[in-house]
Amino acid sequence: MDFITFENVEREYHVGDAVIMAVDGVSFSLGSGTFNVVLGQSGAGKTTVLNMLGGMDSPTAGRIIVNGNEVSGMSEQELTDYRRTQIGFVFQFYNLVPNLTALENVQLAEEICTDPLDAREMLRRVGLEKRMDNFPSQMSGGEQQRVSIARALAKNPQIVLCDEPTGALDSETGRKVLRLIRDVANDLGKTVIIVTHNAPISEMAQTVLHMRDGKIAEMEFHEHPKDVEEILW
Amino acid sequence: MVKGALFRKSLRDMQKSKSQFLSIFIMATLAVSIMTGLDSIWFTVQNHADAMYRAANLSDLWVTVQNPSEQQLWGIRQIGGVTQVEKRFSADADTDLPGGPTLHVYALNDRSTLDQPELQEGKFAKSGGGAVLDSGFAKAHGLKVGDTVSIKLNGVWLRLSIDGLALSSEQVHAVKNSATLVPDPATYGFVVVHTGVLESVYGQKVYNQISVKTKPGTDLTQVVQQADAEIGRELIGITLQKDSSSVSSVNGRIQQFKTLSIVFPLLFFLVTALITQSTMMRLVENQRAQIGVLKALGYSKRSILWHYTSYGVMVGVLGSVFGLLLGPNAFGRILVPQLKLAFSDYKLSINFGHFVFVFLLILLCTGGVSFYACWKLQGDTPAVLLREKPPKKGDHIFLEALPSLWRKMKFSSKLIARNTVKNKIRLLMSIIGVMGCTGVIISALTIKSTLSGITDQMYGTTFTYDQKIILDTKKADSRYLSNLDLDGVTQQAEESALEVVYPNGEQKMEPVTITPKDSPLIHMQDVAGNPISLPENGILMTRKLCKSLGVEAGDIVRIKRTNNGYVSVPIVQVAYLASGQGIYMTDTYWESLGETFKPTALLVKWNGTPDEKFLASDAVADSATRESQQSSLSSSMQVVNLAVIMMIVMGASLAFVVLYNTSILNFVERVRDLATLRVLGFRHREIRNLVLIENYFSVLLGMLAGIPIGRFISWIIASSLDERLDLLGNITLPDVLIAGVTTLCFAWIINNVVARKMKQIDMLEALKSVE
Repeated sequence: MDFITFENVEREYHVGDAVIMAVDGVSFSLGSGTFNVVLGQSGAGKTTVLNMLGGMDSPTAGRIIVNGNEVSGMSEQELTDYRRTQIGFVFQFYNLVPNLTALENVQLAEEICTDPLDAREMLRRVGLEKRMDNFPSQMSGGEQQRVSIARALAKNPQIVLCDEPTGALDSETGRKVLRLIRDVANDLGKTVIIVTHNAPISEMAQTVLHMRDGKIAEMEFHEHPKDVEEILW
Repeated sequence: MVKGALFRKSLRDMQKSKSQFLSIFIMATLAVSIMTGLDSIWFTVQNHADAMYRAANLSDLWVTVQNPSEQQLWGIRQIGGVTQVEKRFSADADTDLPGGPTLHVYALNDRSTLDQPELQEGKFAKSGGGAVLDSGFAKAHGLKVGDTVSIKLNGVWLRLSIDGLALSSEQVHAVKNSATLVPDPATYGFVVVHTGVLESVYGQKVYNQISVKTKPGTDLTQVVQQADAEIGRELIGITLQKDSSSVSSVNGRIQQFKTLSIVFPLLFFLVTALITQSTMMRLVENQRAQIGVLKALGYSKRSILWHYTSYGVMVGVLGSVFGLLLGPNAFGRILVPQLKLAFSDYKLSINFGHFVFVFLLILLCTGGVSFYACWKLQGDTPAVLLREKPPKKGDHIFLEALPSLWRKMKFSSKLIARNTVKNKIRLLMSIIGVMGCTGVIISALTIKSTLSGITDQMYGTTFTYDQKIILDTKKADSRYLSNLDLDGVTQQAEESALEVVYPNGEQKMEPVTITPKDSPLIHMQDVAGNPISLPENGILMTRKLCKSLGVEAGDIVRIKRTNNGYVSVPIVQVAYLASGQGIYMTDTYWESLGETFKPTALLVKWNGTPDEKFLASDAVADSATRESQQSSLSSSMQVVNLAVIMMIVMGASLAFVVLYNTSILNFVERVRDLATLRVLGFRHREIRNLVLIENYFSVLLGMLAGIPIGRFISWIIASSLDERLDLLGNITLPDVLIAGVTTLCFAWIINNVVARKMKQIDMLEALKSVE
């Protein structure tokens, strides 16, 4: 069950003389191959949790253990390797490299991973087989986000982290993107964590972490998560 | 206080991008200071020389004739335009001072008014026995007013008491002959006396020159022709003021710095414009929304345009002021003394007329370019400007037309290739910066090796004697010489000057060397370095002289015979001689023209030790070893080192500013892309390489482009360096390699600085801040 474990994780930021506790004693565990949502208002600390889990940030106290390895104690070098092999990121604003085509953006993964998935195959899976040679500037937001998903999955990571993946999309496109994330991750057996302030999305998750003021206010488990189409937002 | 708020905004914006604006400022300052600096050099020299010539009442031409008659003098006085005519005596004399320096003696008539010395100290009596000595020469030999100096004229020693110290308009650039490149007051100077003094030497007053002053605007060619006709067969030669040794050297210097002041700073102006362009483009792009807000607030187009233009204008004005302060002081004060011109204390003159031009030019490069950068955006409506910036366009590049190559490339190479091609302005800027750096270093090294090459050619290949002996022609006549039995190889030579008629009718005295055909100790070469021998049925002319005469091998030139009109002679051979331009011919050819061969010098290659007894004899007036000639020539080139260092510093600053800027820009503009890669798991080193490899790529292109630029600058400098030098300015592989390695070192240093700076910026922070 315990693929990802947070133990009393804290993260404080110093802004001038003020100390801000972005994450204030968070503990939870998530299983392998699950689909999870972290829900909260902006400033609740959910992105900080995601960043720490993704190896982009380190906690000031507590432990983070992923797949038996303690991520919280890793050096800069080890964190890079961790991101390289274990984590796939999907961002709100896609963050594709504008100078690379869709295919090349996905092929980035092949450059750095030991066991990447085929880039063309991944693009086919997200339905972009016809747009492979297009540049990001030639694609719609939904298409760019799909490339971003393909890129995250092509690295063949253990965990896929999505920060407001639908935040910049209209609801219909957002729905399609979410469905895609879930289906593809399911097929490949990946653990997915989505951070959002959009409450209805949580209904499709197996585990929902409600965050407020840097703490976990509530943990919610769904035996039978809803399908994307059933969600209203 | 609307204006005040915008002004404060611009100051803060500049503060934020301080490295960029500092770079623009540095480049603008350099551009202005180099241009005004080099300008001030020639302007100062010109102003001083002009003032000096005026004060001295310098003649417009000198007619050389042995003991001119009153009738001849009167005849020249009658030529149209001639206002003043005076006789004088002018010749070199040995001295009794250590090191055996030479003094050029000018003997003027009492109450003369032409070609007066410019007194620095003491007095120059209107008549009498006192002498006025070259003040630089006096200083070099520790002589003061009241001391005496002895000179040897016509074999007689003459003791002169020094009444005054002075400068001479004819000895501003004081060199003994064309083999000396840089004046040295310890070995050569002048002394002015009254003609009465010479009576003790010659038994009477002697004259050998007529100084002629004309009305301004007189056609001097006409005067020369009429004077020639007037003097007839006794004429030795006529020298125009502008062709006289010192005046032409000074003019050469002026011309040289004029050329440099135009060619050299161009690169810096160009780079200033490019840095401004890229900085302002980025600034204005980043402030899209702000421009929208300003427009929405009701600011007029014009005030927004002016606001962004003012960034460039401010930096441009500041750069001009600093450049104006720095340029003349740094370049002028350092380089003017290096010219070794004998001026009194000079004040640097700044050419304000040119400065206005330079100021406008730099404003165009800063303000004008800023205006242009903003012009594109201000047309949009506030609503369009306030909207999110459209994503940057990616584009296919030409490399993709070669799928086999493209597919094999790593993604990082693809990214570098696309990014490089996309940012053409930035690429262009780096290339130009590096090109300038490499080019300047190549030309600096080329000039240095070309000049040291002169010594090698002159005293390694062309002249192979051990010793050059100047003969006392009175004692050493041909009979004496034919009976002379020296242990070694000898070669006789007659060195004098011949009047040559230029195609445009001008007549000039050019050096001539007459020597036997077998010439065992003088070896001429063509430009390619192949040996050539002296022709039997014509003359050999050096390449540079041919060029200035506008003739080539096979052409015919007219030269003046010593006593009887002109004769046409064919140029059979053209030789390349870096220093010492002139005419060479065999003694037999010279005699076939009806002249006699009267050796003035004897070149000797000793078999054993030099024949001291001969060297000490009366027949020897002077002698110099090849080694001493060689070392004095190479020491006179030492000044070049300073120029070389200055050029390398300029080149380095160009490379540093430009590369630092483009790298930082390249990094900052793409910080989000790079951060994405970082999050994806790319290592710091891999991301750094994305930026740095692009740098090295532009450095490589810039270095390649720098080679022809270096060739060009070398060529310009070589051809304007000295009229008497024939420099090819050819770049050599070792110099190119050294310049390349130096440039690479600069690039490596900058890349390390940039890499450190990249580490300081937390890229993940840059990415997160968007969410």
